[in-house]
Amino acid sequence: MTGEHAVRRGFVRDWLLTVDHKKIGIMYGIACLIFFFLGGAAALLIRTVLWKPGTPEILPGPDSFNQLFTMHGTIMIFLFMIPMLTAAFGNYLIPIMIGARDMAFPRMNLLAFWIFILGGLVILSSFFLGIPDTGWTAYPPYSIQTPGVGLDLWVAAVHILGLSSILGSINIIVTVFNLRASGMTFNRLPLLVWAMLVTAFIQLFGTPALAGAVTTLLLDRHAGTIFYTASMGGDPMLYQHLFWFYSHPAVYVMILPAMGLVSEIIPVFARKPIFGYRAIAYSSVTIGFLGFLVWAHHMFTAGMSLSAGIPFMITSMIIAVPSAIKIFNWLATLWRGSNVFTTPMLYSTFGFMGLFTIGGLSGLYLAAVPVDIHVHDTYFVIGHFHYVLFGGSMMAVLAGIFYWFPKVTGRMYSEKLGLWSFWTSFIGTNLTFFPMFYVGVMGMPRRVFQYDINLQFANDVATIGSYILGIGAILMVTNIIISLRSKVKAPDNPWGAKTLEWSVSSPPPEHNFRETPVVTSTPYDFGVASPRQFNEENVGTR
Amino acid sequence: MDIGWFLPEAIANMAEKVDSLFILISWVSLAIFILVEMLLFIFLIRYRRRRSDDQGLSIHGNTKIEIIWTVIPAIILVIIGVLGSQLTYDIQRPPKDVYTIEVAGKKWAWDFKYPEGFKTTNELRVPEGKNILFKITSNDVIHSFWIPALRMKQDAVPGRQTQFWTGALKKGTYSIPCAEYCGTMHSMMLGKLTVVSQDDFNQFVKSGGKGGTTTSSSASPAEKGKALAQSSGCLNCHAVDSSKLFGPGWGGVYGKSKKLADGSTVMYDDQYIVESIMKPSAKIPEGYTAPMPPQNLTEDEARLIAEYMKTLK
Repeated sequence: MTGEHAVRRGFVRDWLLTVDHKKIGIMYGIACLIFFFLGGAAALLIRTVLWKPGTPEILPGPDSFNQLFTMHGTIMIFLFMIPMLTAAFGNYLIPIMIGARDMAFPRMNLLAFWIFILGGLVILSSFFLGIPDTGWTAYPPYSIQTPGVGLDLWVAAVHILGLSSILGSINIIVTVFNLRASGMTFNRLPLLVWAMLVTAFIQLFGTPALAGAVTTLLLDRHAGTIFYTASMGGDPMLYQHLFWFYSHPAVYVMILPAMGLVSEIIPVFARKPIFGYRAIAYSSVTIGFLGFLVWAHHMFTAGMSLSAGIPFMITSMIIAVPSAIKIFNWLATLWRGSNVFTTPMLYSTFGFMGLFTIGGLSGLYLAAVPVDIHVHDTYFVIGHFHYVLFGGSMMAVLAGIFYWFPKVTGRMYSEKLGLWSFWTSFIGTNLTFFPMFYVGVMGMPRRVFQYDINLQFANDVATIGSYILGIGAILMVTNIIISLRSKVKAPDNPWGAKTLEWSVSSPPPEHNFRETPVVTSTPYDFGVASPRQFNEENVGTR
Repeated sequence: MDIGWFLPEAIANMAEKVDSLFILISWVSLAIFILVEMLLFIFLIRYRRRRSDDQGLSIHGNTKIEIIWTVIPAIILVIIGVLGSQLTYDIQRPPKDVYTIEVAGKKWAWDFKYPEGFKTTNELRVPEGKNILFKITSNDVIHSFWIPALRMKQDAVPGRQTQFWTGALKKGTYSIPCAEYCGTMHSMMLGKLTVVSQDDFNQFVKSGGKGGTTTSSSASPAEKGKALAQSSGCLNCHAVDSSKLFGPGWGGVYGKSKKLADGSTVMYDDQYIVESIMKPSAKIPEGYTAPMPPQNLTEDEARLIAEYMKTLK
């Protein structure tokens, strides 16, 4: 009997119209990587302009510079990092990790994907119709006054992408609550699934606030309303409150799944159970809640009275605790492990843990109101969130890409090229983003092409670092392409991992499992009570 | 170890207090950073896999140690929070005897209005010994009034007044960048803070904000116009040659005919220049849709700028 997956169908029906969560996940992944290179190209252009201070010479004019950083932020956040983590990894991994045959609503899943593509196309269309120049935050009144259709396209895209996010979140929540295999209790749920579940709730609750903010913006632009016009009784700060009520939790949308990814990878390569499973799972939940209570730390200098910032300073300090807990738990997982330095392990440990720590610690400066008054809206902030999003989230994404590459494609990646891409991106990240702390403190605002000539050396270091990052990204894609064409088949479980996706073939069959699996333990059952004794016994029997 | 090189010069007492909190957070961060990276490195190397079938220790957690590493960071953060709150209140409360300067952001320059009634643009001059209160607002979009040497910053928001104050300052010249993105020439929105002695400041006030900043009275009208164009921020947007920066370039336009956005032409003469400065929306040149933002100049000053434009080729 031929299996149903063996039936040949055309590319359109087999891929573009598929309702298979794995194929949808792969399509999300490919689309996101394309957007990543586009957003990355914008970043490299920005860094090239910043090689020396003054009006950009390589661009048509100052507006082009402003459009570049707007597109860089918009693409990287809305079209790369959020969908890469929640939709690409989320779609591929959640059902198979909980022992389900697919997402709860496969057709809605496909719909969300095509809505996402539509949103991406709307943003791309602005390259031909008029690029927004407001920054990705689009604060009024500037965003109301800026001419052209660029910002209108941006608002449309934010709505479309928001709808896609909401559909995706509902799907994830329903899937995790209802489709777990028997024995897959919440306390046996892989930590990535915990993180994805919390993330889905954050998106579900946060996205409407953003939709409200940009809708009123659009009405102010075209329908003559006065939500944000101070002279007629409106208030521009209302927008900032609504915007950050979504956009700060969105930061956790971009970091919680990344924490989930490394929580899967580290125990496997340490051959040791994850240390403090419950602490990691519950700290994700804590972060999810607290993430909604810190938004005004983006607004300490925006015109609130300074003391009104104090409660938000306190919540921002408190939210550092669950992140610290996770770092210590991962460290304890490595302690007395049997650590092997594969590409995903390097990205997770030296990459994610090492660099996210810098990102988190630099957040302390921004949480403290008096210090934030100085460094807010400077390059210090840029350095901080790139250490979180590139040093943190991106390293985890790269770890994940290499870790699940054999499972998804049925091929092994090149370990040698993988190590090269790790070290280039690790060095590149530090060279690019560390100097930003310095130039920010010294007086360089964000979103400028003009700066003090004394800061040129530090800016040049950052520019060189960004080129090295570019090389790292190219190496990563080269690795993927070469490995896809290689004939070396990947085994079903090359890492000896214990989550359910590794119990089936590589790549997995169409509906994941021939028989619904029965789960009897946590997926981190590694290690032995006394490693030395175990090894001696093994040697003895050989 | 001194980490002062990581900070710009601090010229006020309060800036030094902010710096000491900055330095405290830096020490805490550095300690945690070294601890985490050291453990990361040691654990990875010390417990690396030596034989392919090596296993780790089967240990799932330890409640006691997990409580310890929850409580210790929490205590450290509470201490930073308490110190930060105290300083926040100090920064917020201005003293009673203050000299108040009204700051208004506009695209893309800073206007300063002194209590004596005169105004300057981009040139902020203050006496060294006084407490000064800046009352900040905006004429158009959101800007952010940042004096890095004071470690102080507040957004300039239309329809809202924000403020910060400073005590005695150190003499010298310092930069005032705009920290909130405000459109095309945001990068070029740079003011200058000059702290002078009380005597020099009295002179400055007596001259109605001109003393020492513009050229002497013997200068030609064109030279005065040039100084005015520089100090008023005109040259942030208008090139002195014919190139288009944000507004039209000024070089070689005088005395020629100029096409307007509505299709008509106009003679580029004194009258047109003065009208365009005083009433920017009256005649918009071809290729532009929005008028120049309103400027803080008198008609006499506009004439001086026209004199200057005559000299540009």
